[in-house]
Amino acid sequence: METIAVYWESRIKTYGFQRIPDLALIEFSCPLSDIKSLGEIFSQDYLEILRPKFIIAQEAVHKISFVFCLPNKEGKDFHATLKKISRSTPERYIHPVSIIFFHGPHFGDRYGIADTTFSSLSKAGIKIIASGCSSASVFLVLAQHDIDKAEEILSETFEVAR
Amino acid sequence: MEKLKIGGLKQSLELCQFDLRGLNSSEEIASKVSKLLLAQKINMEFLTFYSQRNNYNQLTFCISQDKFSATSKILKKEGSLPIGWEINSRGQVGIITIFPHQSAIMILGLIMFSWAAQSIPIYGIATSLSAISFVTDYQLADKAIKVIQDLFQMPEDHAPIKPEIRYHQSDIVKED
Repeated sequence: METIAVYWESRIKTYGFQRIPDLALIEFSCPLSDIKSLGEIFSQDYLEILRPKFIIAQEAVHKISFVFCLPNKEGKDFHATLKKISRSTPERYIHPVSIIFFHGPHFGDRYGIADTTFSSLSKAGIKIIASGCSSASVFLVLAQHDIDKAEEILSETFEVAR
Repeated sequence: MEKLKIGGLKQSLELCQFDLRGLNSSEEIASKVSKLLLAQKINMEFLTFYSQRNNYNQLTFCISQDKFSATSKILKKEGSLPIGWEINSRGQVGIITIFPHQSAIMILGLIMFSWAAQSIPIYGIATSLSAISFVTDYQLADKAIKVIQDLFQMPEDHAPIKPEIRYHQSDIVKED
């Protein structure tokens, strides 16, 4: 397999920051043994209209926990649907939250990006509710009132490529 | 019935996974762990973090399989993590990423259902703007990909699914 070396930038480049405001966060879980049934419910046509902006799932002690962020109206409908499904347990509904996300050259292939992101926000006292980093992207779910400050901090920390 | 169209599919190299769980501490866990890995020049290829209502947090990340021992050692070293934090690890996992996910919930549901029917586990999921990534057993990746290829319609001129290039970050600093 070919190996390519990627240089280290003194200030990490991004292609800019994007926000998605006014979302609802829904957390729910189901036993691992019921994942097939939950999958069957998710693949129903009536849920196809939902456009989640963020999904993560984490496995923990014989269950899998999901976090979805959706526009508020869709979030309410989805939350109501989950309540009707005996196999899933809705555990949390937060509104409003916002997402800030960004990507950059070779994100996913190089070390240091997560540290730069989390350390700068932590130092500024900004609490991250949820995060998902995959496919060269960093997604952060924050309380709505933290989004301006977070973008300011991240813009000072990373270099936005022109 | 017509198959749902997807734009592509990608498989990662062999990775390992760490799940860290515990109560909120004064230092954010994501910041603390990413700093520990940075010091060893270890790249996280996948990460999910969630802070639950009861201040219980979970950080899950995947790194290259060849960093498994070094990372276990770092995390288990006294003082690396806040007191009471639980560490679970799993070797030989892989990430399968699907592009794009215009019908994300349906794609998620179809994969959850079909993989479960074939006893293919899901250890983690994360979405980005145009992709949905699943962590599963590396040994079952070929079987998992076959299931996806049977479920969805892929472009005829699809790029190779398996990685052909491995990126390595050099120590050379590029000056502006």
